[in-house]
Amino acid sequence: MVALFNILIFPGFLFLGIYALLFEYLDRIIYARLQNRMGPPWFQPLADFLKLIGKEAVIPAAADKHVFPALPVVALAAVTTAFLYVPIWSGSSLLPFSGDLIVVLYLLTIPTLTFFLAGWYSTSVYATVGSMRALTQLFSYEVPLFMALLSPALLADTWSISGISQFYGAHPLYILINIPAFVVAIVACQGKLERVPFDLPEAETEIVSGTFVEYSGRFYAVFKMAINCELVVVAAIVSAFFLPFYTANPFIGFLLFIVKTVIILFILAVFRSVMARIRIEQMVKFCWKYLTPLAILQIIINILLKGVLPL
Amino acid sequence: MAKSLFEKAIDWGRRKSPWIIHFNAGACNGCDIEVVDAITPRFDVERFGLMLKGTPRHADVLVCTGAVTLQTRDRLKRIYEQMPDPKFVIAVGTCACSGGIFDGCYCVAGGIDAVIPVNVYVPGCAARPEAIIDAVVKLLTALENMQKGTPAAPVDDNVADVSALEEIENAVTEASAAAVHSDNQPADSATTGSQGGEE
Repeated sequence: MVALFNILIFPGFLFLGIYALLFEYLDRIIYARLQNRMGPPWFQPLADFLKLIGKEAVIPAAADKHVFPALPVVALAAVTTAFLYVPIWSGSSLLPFSGDLIVVLYLLTIPTLTFFLAGWYSTSVYATVGSMRALTQLFSYEVPLFMALLSPALLADTWSISGISQFYGAHPLYILINIPAFVVAIVACQGKLERVPFDLPEAETEIVSGTFVEYSGRFYAVFKMAINCELVVVAAIVSAFFLPFYTANPFIGFLLFIVKTVIILFILAVFRSVMARIRIEQMVKFCWKYLTPLAILQIIINILLKGVLPL
Repeated sequence: MAKSLFEKAIDWGRRKSPWIIHFNAGACNGCDIEVVDAITPRFDVERFGLMLKGTPRHADVLVCTGAVTLQTRDRLKRIYEQMPDPKFVIAVGTCACSGGIFDGCYCVAGGIDAVIPVNVYVPGCAARPEAIIDAVVKLLTALENMQKGTPAAPVDDNVADVSALEEIENAVTEASAAAVHSDNQPADSATTGSQGGEE
């Protein structure tokens, strides 16, 4: 019964959905305020979601009848599962186990793969171009992102997100060592979330909506929800790694979680407002030439410090 | 027929989140610039939840400009059919409303309503951004009336528009009469020259 409550209501499905809608609103209002305009009302993401649920859902004649509608659900399921392993109200997540970091990173790769398959099974030209870009981008940002998240784990000597969070909570000054990894993670997760400098797979001005060209109605609503949930999960993971401040009191800890994730969201929203989209080959070049060496440097620093620091 | 809470919520969502797609059916680009102008931060239409979408599959409202040429007629039909239901069409500009000065041309099929059903007409050459935003708001109000089953209220704006049009027509006829009058008069050359320039 408690497990069902956990999965469906509190840290799981319902809470994540509501928090994701709130996150989309905050993202859009920060974006609007930085463009010197009012921005949407607070209920806007909910209205968008309800409208899309109520609209006709078209499955193109050339698309696969079974895979096409299933993909949004797979993306949402993967993201929601990943959220169960992220610390929320304390330093420990709901179901911590050794190695959940790897599980979460791979669960967060599944949405990108569904974006690729969504574009591929739509059989639209724009969607195919978008899905190709999604995969090309995946091979560029995934390596620096993994390295940036694994180097704090090296120093903490554990593969569990909760363990890493607790380690840095006990040694707060060690966060300063991981600042290069934090920079790499923030830049790389914008590729993962397909946000503005790296929003090539759904570049609206070039390839209409990229991978989501053929998605309409409730399929698109679920995809949008999965993207927003992914934003929450990535912000939560980055805050658990690089802003590991928590208290024993679950209520204050929950408020701290909200503050930390909103700080990460604010950084991402500012990036989205001040940047322009770059080309795909510039993106690949940037990730391999600058981000990956920086992440490798971080790993070397952490391995060397591990022998020096009193742990 | 009473609606369930879920249906009411969806109705509310439809009123609060009109996503538009813009299509040029053969306009001179004047109205298109005004449509783009209407979605700039200055007017901030995201206040109404309005967003410009790239693909017809995501859009609810087709904002269409220009007289329909024979080349774009089939494309316009296709884009309209690609939009999922429920969908609405706004014809922006005089050419989109009636064909305008291109009506009857050998390559023009007519206004937008010669090809697809139109919900709101925005006259003007070019239509102002304020008029386009007003058209979207009117569409949403009409949608609300339709959803709630109340008959549409008599729109006073139409009456005002007609009287304004009459005023403009009167002014134009008076001006042209004056111009003709001044042409006939052997007045001093400076005034006739300037009036001729204005004509």
